[in-house]
Amino acid sequence: MTAFWSGWIMFLVVFNLGITLFLFLWGQRVIIPLLPDGTTGHVWAHGVLRESVRKLPMWWVVLSAAMFVVGFVYLALYPGFGSFKGTLGWTSHGELAEDLAANQARLDPLLKRVATMPLEQVAADPEAMQLGHRLFVDNCAACHGNEGHGNALVGAPDLTDTDWTYGGSADAILASINNGRQGVMPPLGGGMDAAGVENLANYVLSLSGADHWPSKAEAGKASFALCAACHGMDGTGNQALGAPNLTDHTWLYGGDQASIEKTIREGRSGFMPAWQTRLSETDVRLIAGWVYAQSHAKAP
Amino acid sequence: MAGGYKYFEAVEKHAGLLGILTAVMVSIGGLAEITPLFMAANTVKAAEGLKPYDPLRLAGKDIYVREGCYLCHSQMIRALRAETERYGPYSVAGESVYDRPFQWGSKRTGPDLARVGGKYSDEWQRVHLIDPRSVVPDSNMPSYAWLSNAMVDAADIQARMRVLRTLGDPYSDEDIAGAKSALEGKTEMDAMIAYLQGLGINRPTESAAASGAAP
Repeated sequence: MTAFWSGWIMFLVVFNLGITLFLFLWGQRVIIPLLPDGTTGHVWAHGVLRESVRKLPMWWVVLSAAMFVVGFVYLALYPGFGSFKGTLGWTSHGELAEDLAANQARLDPLLKRVATMPLEQVAADPEAMQLGHRLFVDNCAACHGNEGHGNALVGAPDLTDTDWTYGGSADAILASINNGRQGVMPPLGGGMDAAGVENLANYVLSLSGADHWPSKAEAGKASFALCAACHGMDGTGNQALGAPNLTDHTWLYGGDQASIEKTIREGRSGFMPAWQTRLSETDVRLIAGWVYAQSHAKAP
Repeated sequence: MAGGYKYFEAVEKHAGLLGILTAVMVSIGGLAEITPLFMAANTVKAAEGLKPYDPLRLAGKDIYVREGCYLCHSQMIRALRAETERYGPYSVAGESVYDRPFQWGSKRTGPDLARVGGKYSDEWQRVHLIDPRSVVPDSNMPSYAWLSNAMVDAADIQARMRVLRTLGDPYSDEDIAGAKSALEGKTEMDAMIAYLQGLGINRPTESAAASGAAP
């Protein structure tokens, strides 16, 4: 704030408080001339209503005086009087920093523990699980759901099963959260007619033993060579590429024939943002621990 | 001190005088609180690294305003722990210099969007705008499905950018010349997603936030 605007504010504050304080003190002492009948002579309704004079109620005087005191004390303690910072030195950023520090101190034992112990132990720590789930709901639930069951509409995998697109080890989970994941399946519809897509979809269905047309699946088998580069000849997928296993009953984008045909025709591009710029390292470990616990509790 | 009744009588008996004196006293508060900030607003510099909206995001911002998103979503993270923990570092004035009008908002029915850019995938934003409850089951946000079918109106984008340039946004002649082709074939959904994905991606550095520059 420049000296001019600081002075501007100080002048107006003094001016305003000065006028109001002066009127407050003066107004109570002004002698109002009275007629012999004890009224001011002001009349309404042809003299039916006449104005009498009473002292100001004490509660009003006391409250008004208290307002002045509060005003002066406030200007002395807090910023408000031009560039004067107030004797308390309060700032909203200072208060935020204090709140953050107080919260940090409260969580410190837990955070220190989580920072160094292996993810398997984080997953077994009830306190860490509570915080981890809270963070998961705040940051991950929009795609994966509050309890981590995933959402085929955006290709967000179920995190509570034991089927992993990029791997379910502690390191793989941490890497997924920290760096994000970008899964791209190219569209194959351009080089294939509708029947070809249908046949290939039937072959994909046959891999997991789902209902399919055996004759169409047989016809589509040859074109699976296109898919094998990522999904493998046997269709079991490749976690290094994030190519899903097609022989199980878990589907990122839906496992009915229509969904599979759409996937083949138009391709899919799954995108999980990288979280290391948004979340602290310990926060990531807490979330990863919670995710780890969801699936490994069910592991055989 | 005890005299002076005639002054009180004058104010009491002349409603016009009472009105004028009341206005004077009330406006002192405004003069002290509003004018210094009003003048300071002209001196706010763009946050380091902040760029004016590219044509697609600019179109998206206008759709955001048209659809009244600001009625339920704020773009202002206050300096409170509950907000910085959920949404990220608090907002600073330099981040809003290219927002005309600013989208700080005053009500949160939905979450704050000041730093939502990059938090979700483009596909999530698309699915969510078409059917919010398909990804957030307890959301009460309306569906904006028609954005997918409406093409961005590119007719006046260059005029808009020229106006913004006269107001101080550093658009170059090439920026404006290429604006129309940048919107070619884009739906309003594309523009909206581009706008949302750009919100707050230029985060203030820790040191800028710590020094409390222009809160």
